Order: sequence, then structure tokens, then C-alpha cells
Amino acid sequence: MSQARVLWHLMRADFLERVRRYSFLLTLGLAVYLGYVVSVGQLKLWIDDSRGIYNSPWVGVVMAMVINSFLSIAGFYVVKGSVERDRRTGVGQILATTPMSKPLYTLGKMASNLAVLLAMVAVLAVMAFAAQLVAGEDTRLQMVKLLAPILVFCVPVMAIVAAFAVLFETLPGLRGGLGNIAWFFLWVGLMPASILTKGSWDLLGLGAVSADLYRQTALRYGVTKHSFVLGAMADERGSKIFHWDGMDWTPEILLSRLVWLGLAVGLALIAAVFFDRFDTARSSGRVRKPQAALPEPAEAVAGPAPAIHLHPLPEGARRFRFFDLLRAELRLLLKGQRWWWYAVALGLLIASIAAPIQSVRSVVLPLAWLWPILLWSALGTREARFATDGLVFSAARPLGRQLPAVWLSGVLLAVATGGAAVLRFALAGDWTGVGAWTVGALFIPTLALTLGVWSGSSKLFEIIFLVFWYLGPMQRVPALDYVGAVPAAVKAGMPLAYLAATALLMAAAVAGRKRQLARL
Amino acid sequence: MKLTIEGVGKRYKGNFWGLKDFTLELGAGVLGLLGPNGAGKSTLMRILATITRPTEGRALWNGTDIVRSPDGLRAELGYLPQDFGVYPNLNAVEFLEYMAAVKGLDRAAAARRIEELLVLVNLTEARKRPLGGYSGGMKQRIGIAQALLNDPRLLIVDEPTVGLDPEERVRFRNLLSDLGGERIVILSTHIVSDVEAVANGIAMMDRGRLLAYAEPEELLRRVEGRVWEWVIPSAELPAARERWRISSTVRRADGVHARVVSEIPPAPGAVRVPPSLEDAYLAVLEGDRARAAAA
Repeated sequence: MSQARVLWHLMRADFLERVRRYSFLLTLGLAVYLGYVVSVGQLKLWIDDSRGIYNSPWVGVVMAMVINSFLSIAGFYVVKGSVERDRRTGVGQILATTPMSKPLYTLGKMASNLAVLLAMVAVLAVMAFAAQLVAGEDTRLQMVKLLAPILVFCVPVMAIVAAFAVLFETLPGLRGGLGNIAWFFLWVGLMPASILTKGSWDLLGLGAVSADLYRQTALRYGVTKHSFVLGAMADERGSKIFHWDGMDWTPEILLSRLVWLGLAVGLALIAAVFFDRFDTARSSGRVRKPQAALPEPAEAVAGPAPAIHLHPLPEGARRFRFFDLLRAELRLLLKGQRWWWYAVALGLLIASIAAPIQSVRSVVLPLAWLWPILLWSALGTREARFATDGLVFSAARPLGRQLPAVWLSGVLLAVATGGAAVLRFALAGDWTGVGAWTVGALFIPTLALTLGVWSGSSKLFEIIFLVFWYLGPMQRVPALDYVGAVPAAVKAGMPLAYLAATALLMAAAVAGRKRQLARL
Repeated sequence: MKLTIEGVGKRYKGNFWGLKDFTLELGAGVLGLLGPNGAGKSTLMRILATITRPTEGRALWNGTDIVRSPDGLRAELGYLPQDFGVYPNLNAVEFLEYMAAVKGLDRAAAARRIEELLVLVNLTEARKRPLGGYSGGMKQRIGIAQALLNDPRLLIVDEPTVGLDPEERVRFRNLLSDLGGERIVILSTHIVSDVEAVANGIAMMDRGRLLAYAEPEELLRRVEGRVWEWVIPSAELPAARERWRISSTVRRADGVHARVVSEIPPAPGAVRVPPSLEDAYLAVLEGDRARAAAA
């Protein structure tokens, strides 16, 4: 079988496996929603206070920028996990025994990731037509001018995202939650780099598009200083609308896009260097002791078997104590953490005591409550992830005992890592701060538990919590401030809103676990 | 102590019945569930372990419906699923402590029990090693230990000897025999010798239905006088397989010694031999399939 045929079948099988899951429908739903947001004009491209008329070139470029800005982050989380699936299902072990080379495997995975991402892009391209027709400003459809920006700008970005997803999966340290967090921060850096550098680092195409549009608006309105905004304007009255006939596709732009495509292939090949070919002896997960199977204990093969008789349990031994279960859940939560994890957590506690109280509120506490993200993200997912559900859920009252214990262990983790901050607030007589802190300590683990129970994966919480953390406490968006870091959020009563959200999430977690129990 | 299963059935997607109209009443002792892959053994066990809800029928534990009130049984249940996992960062003691807490065992009693169980499953040496580094057989033994933690009145073990070495298999079979005296043990396997060694009742299943339920002696009586040993040249074995129901073959210097289950001798030289449970199992299974094909 030729290498190309192997590559095709690798990609095809992986692609079919993914698109036949319900989660793929959700993914397409996400793409449709993004397209809808553009169609109804909630997301527009602005150059200062002006925008282009909604003709095919303008809609095409707007959609391309939306795809590159949003799918470049969300798409990574959608496609990451295909190597892990081969590892988990055991298919990888079978593949490893075939003549298939490591580069071919990583290229196949990248191609399959790209196919999934391009399916989403295709949905958004169709939505772009709808957006132009809904806007009704210029209903002449120019297929090439509408699709060209999507093809030229989006395909290389999706290829890079697809390749990074494979690379992260082959690097032991970035395979799990740490990789999810790392991509978020990489993406946060990518956005400004794309606009500011315009040239070599302009992966998203934002620089090329903004440069073209700046030229147009400078010619029309004589403005030399510009702002480039992809979003919604509070008040569109007085905004200028100009006619734009599309990108000036210079050879430099086209060449740079080809370079990004080549780079994506290069990344997939680099991934092959780190790929362990499903050799469990080579991979280093969270277990620090040797991963390879331990030899059987010596007495398993030597000497006669001891007499077999179990003593009956004494009277009263079957006595459930919630504290014992909570203690066991806490140990499960913390087990496997290295010394440096505790060192950083301790450092943040000390910073909570030593830093000015305002800094504690706005920076130190949000950081202290970001640090345990990978522990919280395991809440509600462990039973499915480690296949212990059959054992745990066949014990008495899994809903009334184990679920509350899991939740409380997450809350206690929040208390432990953020405890110094609440002490500062209390000593300063800042009871509003204490209240907001309490809500935060309840909200985070509840969000984690609910998303874990419903999604069965830690990924969803890691992404959503990171977005909350970045936009809320860090970028000071009041509606997303779950911890009381932004004074405006506290004034607007956000802690109460988050308390209500916590109660709703808790109800959802219970409903989700009930569903899990019924579906086992 | 009584487990009553009344007309229990489970329908999966696509109107496929994994289990249909299963009725049985059990008291203390070891019940061996025998059947080929897909016979419905695991479905039945998951229903009895209160994990899967039946589509029809009911199961009663000492008169209480286990679907409506599962917690009464769960407090007295030990369950070893066919496929299960462990938390890789915990060691054996920590994992068993966790399971003891989930099962609602007193901490001091659990500690003593865990020590006893670790000796029993031969994992004392490895008790402090993370489970992530355990071999398949060692993980299976941890699974057995957790099933016995709460001194269960009903012990359900699904393919428990998978991955165990011969010595461990014998140890576990002896343990089941020991346990069966004072509780109900349900053991599912397709290794007939495992069942033969410990079960005092055998339920044979195929395509989701109960084909036969009897004591091993009764099942053996059913094929008494119908099992033959026949020595044939190797070259003739394929043809013999097509014509006769051969339950096992052994190659010897004088040819292949084939065991044949048949009303009449397969050949003039065939010798009648005492039946084994494997012969009885195949006779029941193939008899049912022949009836189904004829219908």
C-alpha cells in the first residue's frame, strides 16, 4: 500500500470516528452559532468608526477574521485528543505493530484534525452567504471574492492549529490539562502579534487585512492613526460605511500563507520526533514510578498459598461516615502532586498575606484560584476517565454520599488555596469581599463538577474557566468576575448572581450524575 | 438470604434484547454462569449489581426490589466488573481505603480488612506501589480485594480469573468455594473448568436466554452415556468435525483422541467415557441452537 493511501485511510478512519459522535454535532452547532452572530450583525469589523458595506468581499473577510480569531482557540480544543483516543482504546497498540511510520501517523492525525476544522469552516462559509443576504446592503453574490479570504487566510490557520494539537499530544508534559492551558496563553499572545507585526508573525491574517483597510480608509477619510476592532459597537450612529472591493492579493501575502501551510506540515513532522509510538514504557504520565508493568511479587510464584479464610466484619463495621469519604476524596484529589505544586500554592498564600489588599483582590487571589485548575478539572470526570464507575456507583447512595464528598473536596481546595485572602478581607472589615470570596470558593468547584459530570472530560472546565479568569478578573469584564476582583462587579451585585448560578450548577451536577447512573 | 430474579429482560438500542425473560431463585452457594460471548451474562450481572436497570421483570434481594430500593442490596454487595479501572496515582492500600469509604465501612474495621485482603490476594509486597504500575493480573487482584471489602452477602464476579496466572486462579477458585458457604456468589466465565471447580449451581445462557439451570451433577447425568472417545488420524479430523459434535481433542502418538457427544458411537472403535461439564455445556448449547435452526 502506498504511503499516500495509508495517510488517506488514517485520516479517513479518524475523521469518520469523530463525525459520527454527538459531540461533532455540538461542534457544528458552535460553528452555526458563530455564523449567526455575524449574520445578525452582532460581530462586525471596524476600522475606527467606519466599516465596509456588506458586499461579498467584505463579508468574506469579516468571516475569515472571525474564523481565525475564534476557531483558532476553540478548534484546538475540539480536535485535540485523537492520539489520546488511540492510546485509550488500544487501537494505538495495534497501529504500532504495523509498518506505518511515525511521521505518517502524525501527518495522518494532523490531516484528520484539519478535516474536522475545515468542516466547521465550510459551515461558516455557507453562513457568510446568509450574512450577506440578511444584511441586504449589497445582495450581488460574488463567490470568488467571498470565498477567497476564507480559503487564503483560514486554511493555513486551521492547518497550524491541527498540527499544534498533534504536537501537544505527543509531548508528554502538554498532553493533558497543562497543554490546554498553554494553548490558551499562546493564543492570547498570538492575537496582538498578528496585528502588530503584520509580516512574519501574522498567522491570523489580521495584520494583512488591517493594513489593506487602513490604506483604504486613509485614502477616503485622510486618517493616519487607526484602530482595528472585531466586535460590536455600543452606538453605531454616525459610523461611516465605505465600499470595499476586496483584498489586494499581493504575492507576499500568498507566499506567507503558503509558508504557514508548510510550517504546519513541519510541526506535524516534529511531533513525530516526540511521538512514543504508544510505548507505555517511554511515556511519562502523572505516575512517577515506572510506567511499565511491575513484576509480580516474588511470593506469587514461590511457596504454598496461605490458608484462605476471611474473617467476618465485626458488628457495626458497616457504618457510613461522611468525613471518611471526604478525606478519601481529598486524598484522591491531591494525590500525585509534586512538591513544587505545593510550593507555588504556598507562595501564593504568602503573597496573599504580604501584598496590598487591593492587589490581593485583583491579582493574587485570582492567581491562587487559577493554580489548582487541573485538580478542579478532575472533579466529576475521574470515574469515567479511570473506568471506576462500575465500582464506585455500585456502592450505596452514590448520589447522596459520593457526589457531595467530591464537591466538598473541591470547595476545601478553594478554601485552602485562597484562605489567606479571606483572612485579609475579614481583618480589614471588608465583609463584601468576604462574601464575594465565599461565592467564588463555591462557584469554581461547582462549575468544575458540573462540566465534568456532563462532559465526562476535564477539558471543558479548563477552557471555560480560563476564559472566565482571563476576561473577568484579568481583563476586568464585570459580568465574568466570579471572585469580586472588579469593584464595578461587586457594586452591580455579581456575587449574588454567581451564588444563584452556583445553585443552578449544583442542580445540574446532580441531574448529570443521575443521568450517568441511569446510563451505566 | 435469597435472590429472586423474575422475568428480567434488557432491551438495548435497535430493539436488541441482551437479556430476555430470565427467571431464577438463588440461595447461599456459588452460581456459575456459563455462556458464549454475547450470551447476556454481563448484562444480567450488571442488573443484579444495580448498575443497569432492567427493561422488564424484577429482581428481589430478600424480598426487596433492587431497582426501586437498590441501597439495601448495595450495602451487602461486592461487585467485580469485567472491565474496570483503578486510580493510577493511588497505591493498593489507598485505593482500598477509598473504596471502603465509598462503601461506608468503619475506618478501623476497614484498615484490618484491607490488611487481611492484601495477604489474601497476595499483594502485600506491592501494597505501597502506585497502581498505575501494576500488571493486569495484579490489577485484577485489587479488583477482587475491593469486591470483598464489605464482607458481601452477595458477591458478583464477572470473568474474575482473566489475567490471573494458574496459581492465582487456583487460589481464587478456592476462595470462592470458601465464600460460597455463607453467601450468594455469582460467577460468570466462559472457562468451564473454573465453574466446574467451585459452582454448586450452573446456569447456561445463550443469546440472552437461560438454557438450563441445574446442579453440575444433574447436568452431567443428562449426557451420561452420550460421550465417546474416538481415536482418529489427524487428516480425518476436519471431516469428523463436520459430522460429529466434538467437545475436545488431544493429539497423541496413536492419533487424535476426540471426545464426541452423540447418542450413537461415532465409529465402531469409539469408547464410552465419563462426561465432563464441558461436554454437558456443549450438548446443551448445540442442542438449543439445533432446535432454533429447525424452528
